[in-house]
Amino acid sequence: MSAAGVLTKPLRQPSVLPGFGLTFGFTTFFLSAIVLLPLAALVLMAARLSISDFFNVILDPRAVGSYRLSFGAAFLAAAINAVFGFVIAWTLVRYEFPGKKIIDALIDMPFALPTAVSGIALTTVFAQNGWVGQYLEPLGIKVAYTWIGVTVALTLIGMPFMVRTVQPALEEVQKDLEDAAETLGAGRFHIFRRIILPTVLPALLTGFALAFARGVGEYGSVIFISGNLPMKTEITPLLIVIKLEEFDYKGAAALGTVMLFISFVMLLAINLLQAWGRQRHVRSGR
Amino acid sequence: MSITLDQVTKRYQGVPVVNDVSVEIGEGEFFVLLGPSGSGKSTLLRAIAGLTGVSHGRIALHGRDVTHTSARERGVGLVFQNYALFRHMTVADNIEFALRVRRMKRADRLARRKELLRLVALEGMDERLPAQLSGGQQQRVAVARALAHKPEVLLLDEPFGALDAKIREELRRTIRQVQRELGITTVLVTHDQEEAFALADRIGVMNLGRLLEMGPPGELYTRPTTRFVATFLGAANLLLGHQTRNGIHFGSPGFDGTRSHEVVAVLRPEEVELAPNRGKLDSRYLAAGSVEEIIFTGALERMRVRLTKGSDEVQLARANNGDGSFLEITRTQPEQRAFAVKVGQDVAVGFRRVHVLPTPLSSFTACAASESEVERLSRHPLLVELATRMSTRVSSRVEPALANSSVDCSAMDRHFSGAAVIASRPDALKNIECLLARGAEEVFVLPANASSPQRVLIHWADEAARAATLAVSASLLRHVSAEAVYLDVKPEHTAATERPQGMRALLDARSEAQAVHGLEMRTELHFGDATSELVRRLGESPDQLLILGISQIAGLAQRFGELLAAIPHAPLLVVYREPEPIAESQTAVGMA
Repeated sequence: MSAAGVLTKPLRQPSVLPGFGLTFGFTTFFLSAIVLLPLAALVLMAARLSISDFFNVILDPRAVGSYRLSFGAAFLAAAINAVFGFVIAWTLVRYEFPGKKIIDALIDMPFALPTAVSGIALTTVFAQNGWVGQYLEPLGIKVAYTWIGVTVALTLIGMPFMVRTVQPALEEVQKDLEDAAETLGAGRFHIFRRIILPTVLPALLTGFALAFARGVGEYGSVIFISGNLPMKTEITPLLIVIKLEEFDYKGAAALGTVMLFISFVMLLAINLLQAWGRQRHVRSGR
Repeated sequence: MSITLDQVTKRYQGVPVVNDVSVEIGEGEFFVLLGPSGSGKSTLLRAIAGLTGVSHGRIALHGRDVTHTSARERGVGLVFQNYALFRHMTVADNIEFALRVRRMKRADRLARRKELLRLVALEGMDERLPAQLSGGQQQRVAVARALAHKPEVLLLDEPFGALDAKIREELRRTIRQVQRELGITTVLVTHDQEEAFALADRIGVMNLGRLLEMGPPGELYTRPTTRFVATFLGAANLLLGHQTRNGIHFGSPGFDGTRSHEVVAVLRPEEVELAPNRGKLDSRYLAAGSVEEIIFTGALERMRVRLTKGSDEVQLARANNGDGSFLEITRTQPEQRAFAVKVGQDVAVGFRRVHVLPTPLSSFTACAASESEVERLSRHPLLVELATRMSTRVSSRVEPALANSSVDCSAMDRHFSGAAVIASRPDALKNIECLLARGAEEVFVLPANASSPQRVLIHWADEAARAATLAVSASLLRHVSAEAVYLDVKPEHTAATERPQGMRALLDARSEAQAVHGLEMRTELHFGDATSELVRRLGESPDQLLILGISQIAGLAQRFGELLAAIPHAPLLVVYREPEPIAESQTAVGMA
């Protein structure tokens, strides 16, 4: 290499992609165009309402009921996924069995399926005369057209998020670690609690956050199975659509802003929890 | 005994990965399991730790049978190649893991941790995370963690594998020190012979799932009993020589007229002497050659000398690959100064010391009636596999007399080197008879489609052939990953009172195989007709090989005709020794 060549590029970090300036520019541009700008428009639209009108809209009992269902069912579904998604990921990572590839591919189906199709399918199965619904009916359990149905739909939709985030983390828990713990005298529960769980917890929380966020925003599959009874089985996104159909753009924007706010706060909380969890486990290590 | 393994076998899908390993490791001993990758050494270590179950056999720790005890209960200390530290815990928590599991009090835990950190020279590193430590330090933490619960046995699985040379040596010293200080029985697995030499009180060399030999490092290096150990522990030139009453000689056989016996001799590179001509050698002359290649390695000079082709050419056991025979030689600085050589220079080669291996299977000679048949036979996959694994040669020999069994075979040349190999054919027994009568000691009958055996059945029809059969079996079994089964057949009408004696004979055979040849074998006692029992057993599954010991040539066809006709698919190795007061193989062992 010539002396000039050495002198002209002493400070630049070599990278496959063009420099930091360019990539950062793209990052801010895309974030603005796709995320921030529409969100700003939403908030601005809501801001056209007077303060009292705004609160009237968002504190309307029907709206509050829909928040409860939307966020509650999404949270519950994410929690269910945290348990069963983990089990599925564990099975796929740790065991070899015939048909493993097919099951692995099936996990992604909820991603690809139009949500309306999932909704109709679930409704068919869980309706009072459906394949599963007809057996649950005598037990007094009604799934379709209740909050349970909403949770079922959101669990289905959120499942791949959980499995796909936990899977790589589990692959990192080498068998050696468990073997080491076993020779040191740890039992199964202890190994799970002290070795496996701490290692996959960050991924588990990320999966939870993703599944939850997806559940809050879900529309297509839920409207078919929920029955959409105001105050009971009506989700916030549906309420927004109803407002839009009534040409109440400001009201719709107000509800959207509330959703935006709650979602943001919850995701932030999960992120903080994750950072705290990492700290705690590093420090106490137990 | 601290660790006792008794016929430990581990199979994966029927294939033995650890094959009949028996060993006793003493209190406070540093035992190194050495072997190439895939030799089963790590599996054996995991079996001792209890992380892998065994298919057969027994494991005891300090006299307590732990074969069916879980790893958790066995409480051994295990160190992994990749450290296997808990990444989310500090050094302190890693070390205290086993103590917390045992609900030890905080103060006691702290004291123990401090003690361990001092032992591995990591004082003050308590609050670091594994990621903040170098590889060598992480492995020290792993050692401390494995020792925390005061295990009676420390197991190390290639602990230096991921470290660079300098750190490796430092850590090696630490581990040796810790081991001495605690007096803890230690088993280390490695593929690095230098490491094994540096650490071991005793080395056990494994290959193909078998524990071939064990002994103190120096003993194994100077007096190996198997080809594999000779070549795996340090470099070795394997030569084919002829053992006569007057000693060993290399080159063309039998010129002094005495009865000779082909043997494999180990010539270490450092035992070779070079001189400008034969007269200037201080040691015994071996051959003439020319220097092919010289590599300077600092303290030593390593070179390859091509042996000059000639009538008295020395035979190298290693398969002849067409480009001539090479000797590996290393010379020290003083030797280099005394006689400097250049590439291409002609030199005389002498040897200071050779070690004769006691193996009875020195080489193979493919025998058939025509050139093309010999050619086909010497390319038989099983024969090629065996020769490669034994790093020996397959010579060829055309014997027109083999074509027709009715022809008198007394015209055949009397001298035989190594085991004769013939193709399996309906009248093969005649051929065997012929070859044995002309001086062959082992005849290997190979069916055209024979593959590597899963099981080797051993049986001798005459007690006089027992020692030789065991020696040949051991020699063969070291090179195939098959299980060995010794089959004894007593007549059907054996009285019930005599049956225990049959059992005793069986156990004697087993302990002889174990003591003299390091061969572990199962034993089976059957009552009935020998031939039909053998046929029945061989018919049970394919891929079995039969080793048959005899001491009587006459009447071979009557005795075993039925056997050969019934099992045309199974390879057969006939071992023949004349009933002498002292069997051949024993003298061979004595000479080693």
